[in-house]
Amino acid sequence: MNVTPSPARAALRRLLIILALALGLIIFAYGWSVTDINLEKPQEPLRQQNVGNALRELLSPNVLEQQYDIQNTSISFVVECPADFQAPPAPAVEAGKPYITVTPPCAKANEKITLQGFNFYPDSLARINWITPDGEKRIRQVDDSKEDNFVTNDDGTFTVQIEVPRIRGSAGQTHSIEAQGRFPTGAPKITATTGLVLEKMVETIFLALIATALSILPSAILSFFAAHNLMRPIRISLGNLMVTVALLPVGWWLGTLILGQVGTLAINITKGAGFTLTAGASITLLFGAVTSSRKLQPAELGLNGARLRSAFNSLLFALIAIAVIGIVGGLAIAFGRLFQPVSIPAGEVLDLAGSIKFFIANIPAKLSYFIGSLGRLIELTMPLFAGVIGAFALSSAGTSLTIDGLKRVSIPISHILGGVLGVISGAVVLGFTAVIGMQAAWLGLLTPLVAAMLGGQILPMVYRRATGKMKLLSNSDKASLTALNWVSAIIIFLVVFTSLNTGRAIIEGTLPSQTPAFEIAGMQLYRFIWQSMLIGGFLGGVTGALAGTKANFPIGDVMYNITRTILNGLRSIEPLIMGLVFVIWVGIGPFAGVLALTLHSIASLGKLYSEQIESIDTGPIEALQSTGANRLQTIMYAVVPQIIPPYIAFTMYRWDINVRMSTIIGFVGGGGIGFLLYQQINLLRYRDAGVAVLAIAIIVSILDYASASIRERYI
Amino acid sequence: MLKIENLTKIYENGFRALDNISLEIPDGQFVAIIGLSGSGKSTLLRCINRLIDPTEGRILWNDLDISAATDDELRQIRRRIGMIFQQFNLVKRSSVMTNVLCGRLGYINPIYSLINYVPRAEKTRAIAALERVGIADKAGNRASALSGGQQQRVGIARALMQEPELMLADEPVASLDPATSHSVMKYLVQLNKDLGITVLCSLHFLSLARAYADRVIALKDGKVEFDGLPSEIDDERFKMIYGEEAVQVEIN
Repeated sequence: MNVTPSPARAALRRLLIILALALGLIIFAYGWSVTDINLEKPQEPLRQQNVGNALRELLSPNVLEQQYDIQNTSISFVVECPADFQAPPAPAVEAGKPYITVTPPCAKANEKITLQGFNFYPDSLARINWITPDGEKRIRQVDDSKEDNFVTNDDGTFTVQIEVPRIRGSAGQTHSIEAQGRFPTGAPKITATTGLVLEKMVETIFLALIATALSILPSAILSFFAAHNLMRPIRISLGNLMVTVALLPVGWWLGTLILGQVGTLAINITKGAGFTLTAGASITLLFGAVTSSRKLQPAELGLNGARLRSAFNSLLFALIAIAVIGIVGGLAIAFGRLFQPVSIPAGEVLDLAGSIKFFIANIPAKLSYFIGSLGRLIELTMPLFAGVIGAFALSSAGTSLTIDGLKRVSIPISHILGGVLGVISGAVVLGFTAVIGMQAAWLGLLTPLVAAMLGGQILPMVYRRATGKMKLLSNSDKASLTALNWVSAIIIFLVVFTSLNTGRAIIEGTLPSQTPAFEIAGMQLYRFIWQSMLIGGFLGGVTGALAGTKANFPIGDVMYNITRTILNGLRSIEPLIMGLVFVIWVGIGPFAGVLALTLHSIASLGKLYSEQIESIDTGPIEALQSTGANRLQTIMYAVVPQIIPPYIAFTMYRWDINVRMSTIIGFVGGGGIGFLLYQQINLLRYRDAGVAVLAIAIIVSILDYASASIRERYI
Repeated sequence: MLKIENLTKIYENGFRALDNISLEIPDGQFVAIIGLSGSGKSTLLRCINRLIDPTEGRILWNDLDISAATDDELRQIRRRIGMIFQQFNLVKRSSVMTNVLCGRLGYINPIYSLINYVPRAEKTRAIAALERVGIADKAGNRASALSGGQQQRVGIARALMQEPELMLADEPVASLDPATSHSVMKYLVQLNKDLGITVLCSLHFLSLARAYADRVIALKDGKVEFDGLPSEIDDERFKMIYGEEAVQVEIN
């Protein structure tokens, strides 16, 4: 059937198109003036001359230099011919020696005089210097050109015109005119600038390499949490989740207390003794740890106390893990002390072979410094490791012990239990956000936001209870539930926002109230945190009681959203801005650049990686799940083989981007070649800046090509 | 004995894929499940090993309630239930050997899997499984280098690694040509007869069900339309299962 639109409709359509075009035109006109587009400025002669000079110098990079043989000869000249002027006798001409003549021998200022030169180097550069009676030397440009140098003829002669300079108070005095011929000797050499640029270029490439390498592991781990297809199916019962959340802080506290001691002890013992001794002892210990972990078989079904055993396994595993981390850290620190750097003896200048020898002699020291730093890193982060491992071990032990019990409880009890557990876990969650909120005014928003998410389900659940619609829902029901969800979330947000006085903190830029509520175990609990915990406890209690412990909680979705939000937030901050902050923290230099680029790379690689995971073939995941493999095994065998090639490709791509970024991260003090370029531009040394620009162009295009061809091979 | 009681599955979009199905499948039977696309064959098979969670109803297997199992319990139940798929679901970039070994993951200590270590006994078992389906010589090849029929045999070998008591086959031959289809079906029958594995196999072609199955269950719109011997399906029953316009197609 052919439908012809009515004439009125067609006219309206045409009108809308014209309106849209007009609107587009207005937007563009506005943008034109906002961006200050101006056709007059580029026409100004002075600006054109300046940009021409700058470009000419940039495009004449100061890469090579040359040593010259200089021929000097001069002739005297009188400015303002005196009345009794007698031309001086012609200089004695010696065979092969350069000499010049000047006509006329005297002239007024600004008059043109002609200089003739003989016996100079043929076809090479020469220049004319004017030397005043008090010995001041200035270059005279010849034949109205703008160049300092001119080229001699094939037979070593030249004839040039110069202008007599106007020099105050020099009339009637004898000046001298010097002609200087230059002839290159020896091979061209690399300038000091080039050497510096090469050195900084190496720094730049390594800066990018280290930043990329450091970001691979964190972003690979994060990418799994940011992959929708992996996270979405993960759901746990609300009861288990609440037990886990309630146990996390206890586990953290116990972990830092007990596991932290174990880990520090392991570090101290291994790093204390001699390296060979500890290495032997540690290998034995590691072997012991591995063999004992082999005993950690998953508990068989139906066995008496299987749950107890699985809980015990989690705790034992935590202990072994922290001991292994401690031993590895201690070993690394011990290795770090093995070799000391060799320094060049004072006053000795190294030739190429010497430099190579020196470089090789320093390899062990560099290695031991590197590994020692990693050990120090483990030592410094040991409390963190201990806390995290402790929190997870206790939570998983708690889950193992309560999972059966929670399944068996009757419906009314599950709601009572849900209320009780909800109070605890709600308080834990909001207490945690309040601790973050204490750090800066706008972070205080986190508490009302999380509270809104926590309590957003209250009204929908009340509605479902009231109407009795518990399982199957029509589309209109779903819409009204979503609306109720928003309504209760917004109400809770506003109530919490006002009751915590977050608005005042945001407007005045102050931190939330620091008044202590009370003290427990020597630790002060701020009122802000205490109030947040009370709110969390209330909201958690109501939600938990309404939902009951048997409700399903989409934990995967929640973790996916949190990870994505963090990654997107980090990615939206340019590395240059991060660089500014890191320069404050660790000082000017490549380390600040490495940190800035690492952070940005983690965010952007995390996203690229996770998109690769989202596009994999899900068949193998299904197949492995059906064999009884656990989640970790499914990822190792069904996901990892599929994502390795794109991961390699994207890592190369990121390195390529990081090299580009690191060429300018120096502008804010982040090290690399950017720092040098910035200095040279500020000193208006464009020929030196040109060397840096040339080096950047070469390296970036090589890497661009290399990464493109590697990516082509893998994708 | 697999016992399905009042099984119902309603997807989030409201589609009722299974509607109050009750079945009893004694050990050692070769059961073909037939029906049109969308009649609920795949959903039924996936509910049995809970790749899909049923909305209502119970699934009892040797008196274990699969539908109520926790994650840990479910993993231990799943390792006794093999499954093969229409699209084979092999990791294409991994070797045939690795793919087969994956079937054993439920039995291997998860810590080993982190460092990709496999005990030697399991490798021997994998070779034996590959020999059973006649492609031991391909163990080192990439899975993607194999033909469709060979890939499905790798899928069978992977399921065999589980030492299954029950085998779920979700349209195992729908992506294969007729000749290969018969060879794959013969391997399934062999497992059924030699090892006594119960087989639940969904099929498109009635002719295949007639040739290989002890019992045929026909699904239509999520309900059991027919449950009996293959020989009992006459033209009238065929039209009830597949609709008035359907014509029988033979696959040779």
